[in-house]
Amino acid sequence: MPNISIKDVKKVYEDASGNPVEAIKGIDLNIEDGEFVSIVGPSGCGKSTLLEIVAGLQRQTSGDVFIGDNPVTGTSRDIGVVFQDASLFPWKTIRRNILYGMEVAKVPRDEQERRFSQYIELMNLKGFEDKYPSQLSGGMRQRAGIARTLIMNPKVTLMDEPFSAVDHLTRCTLQEELVRIHQKEKKTVLFVTHDINEAVFLSDRVILLSPRPSVIQREYKINLPHPRSRSDDYLVHIASKIVADISRGAVELDNDYII
Amino acid sequence: MGNKKKKFSIINVLQILTVLLLLIYMQVAVKSGAISKVFLAAPTDIVLEGIKIITDGTLLPHFLVSVSEIVVGYGIAVIAGIGLGLIWTLFPKTEEYGNVFCAAIMAIPKVAILPLLILWFGIGFTSKVVLIFLFSVFTILYNTVTGAKQCKESYLKVARVFEATRTQTVLEVVIPSALPSIFNGLRLAAATAFTGVVFSEMQSAKAGVGYLLSEAQGLLNTPRVFFLIILITIMSVIFVKLITLIEYIFCHQWRSI
Repeated sequence: MPNISIKDVKKVYEDASGNPVEAIKGIDLNIEDGEFVSIVGPSGCGKSTLLEIVAGLQRQTSGDVFIGDNPVTGTSRDIGVVFQDASLFPWKTIRRNILYGMEVAKVPRDEQERRFSQYIELMNLKGFEDKYPSQLSGGMRQRAGIARTLIMNPKVTLMDEPFSAVDHLTRCTLQEELVRIHQKEKKTVLFVTHDINEAVFLSDRVILLSPRPSVIQREYKINLPHPRSRSDDYLVHIASKIVADISRGAVELDNDYII
Repeated sequence: MGNKKKKFSIINVLQILTVLLLLIYMQVAVKSGAISKVFLAAPTDIVLEGIKIITDGTLLPHFLVSVSEIVVGYGIAVIAGIGLGLIWTLFPKTEEYGNVFCAAIMAIPKVAILPLLILWFGIGFTSKVVLIFLFSVFTILYNTVTGAKQCKESYLKVARVFEATRTQTVLEVVIPSALPSIFNGLRLAAATAFTGVVFSEMQSAKAGVGYLLSEAQGLLNTPRVFFLIILITIMSVIFVKLITLIEYIFCHQWRSI
């Protein structure tokens, strides 16, 4: 599994009236093989922009992104992306949604079937194969969204606030499942979230971005083996430290980030 | 309407009474001679006239002519409208080129072209088919293209992430997501297609429901005029419902219609 290296990436875009807006001032980040890294930060700090740059969905203004030795110049099947609201196609069944990437890539039928039954098992989606997304709960939809990405066996997985649209209990279950899958597959994961407890619970390392134009404000190494307890003193301590750092980093923060 | 059973309220009673009163008024006014038979028809005469032209075989050939004109004209419009919409979506340059022409032709009130169509294609089947085609095709085309442009950004991102080709993206993502808009276009076009066929048959034709209508007017057969208006309305409603039924068959599993 290769690492992700982000080298002095800057992003400037033009707003509606043509004025340049500096979204990302300059970010250097190296994510090791098999490492699970979360990016947190206040709303609009550019964390999703950074993820889309790594995914090849947006072009950075300057700087480079590498997956292993290969520079990212556009989207690639080596890079899997899980989107915020699962973004399943409502006109396809769960089966067809999960198989979508392999159909596009023209993977042979029997190979598709083999991997499909493996991932439907892994994501606990058995019995829902022939349902349409509108017939499933938000949590189930996101399971299918994750399966659609992982089934392609990407070298790195990027997740953009994947659990933000599901209720709290479902979110906790999905987080535990994600930990289990990560322990098993040991894939490099870049995870964007605004939920600090989620970041701390899941990650090997948490990166705090400053408000726009963003830089890395601070990094937190989380040296605690899985399975972790949510109420572990060490995790609670780091989470409160991050919250304190966020409120120190910016005065104009949204209230919900200051607990 | 939900699953709550609709109550039969006093309003409904009043509505039915209003219609009944109107029918009774028509019946009495015409039969007593207060209003001339030329201006109004008694409901019983309308029913009798309807039964007469159905049973004596007057209606059927005209009905079939109108239906076949609609089926052919509208059918070609559906294929051409969706087909061109697909081509425009796949190759944006073709839209850049063709849009101005289509917009210009669309701007012409179609009924104004009818004299030309009659000159070119005669007063028979072909001129009607061409008119129905012109009445329907642009609505279908522009609804297809607009629907395609409104495809959700997140669906397109998924297609990009999985490295779908442009053709794969258009056929498997853009067009399915445009289906609601396409079906709206088909429904609108179905209604206008009917206007087109009746109008052109009334203007100059040798057959068709519209022809029968203008002939009945010429013969001062007012009950027949009333019957034909009702018939055309029902046909038009059934046609639009048919499109909704097709949409239901295609899409009901994944969205409510």
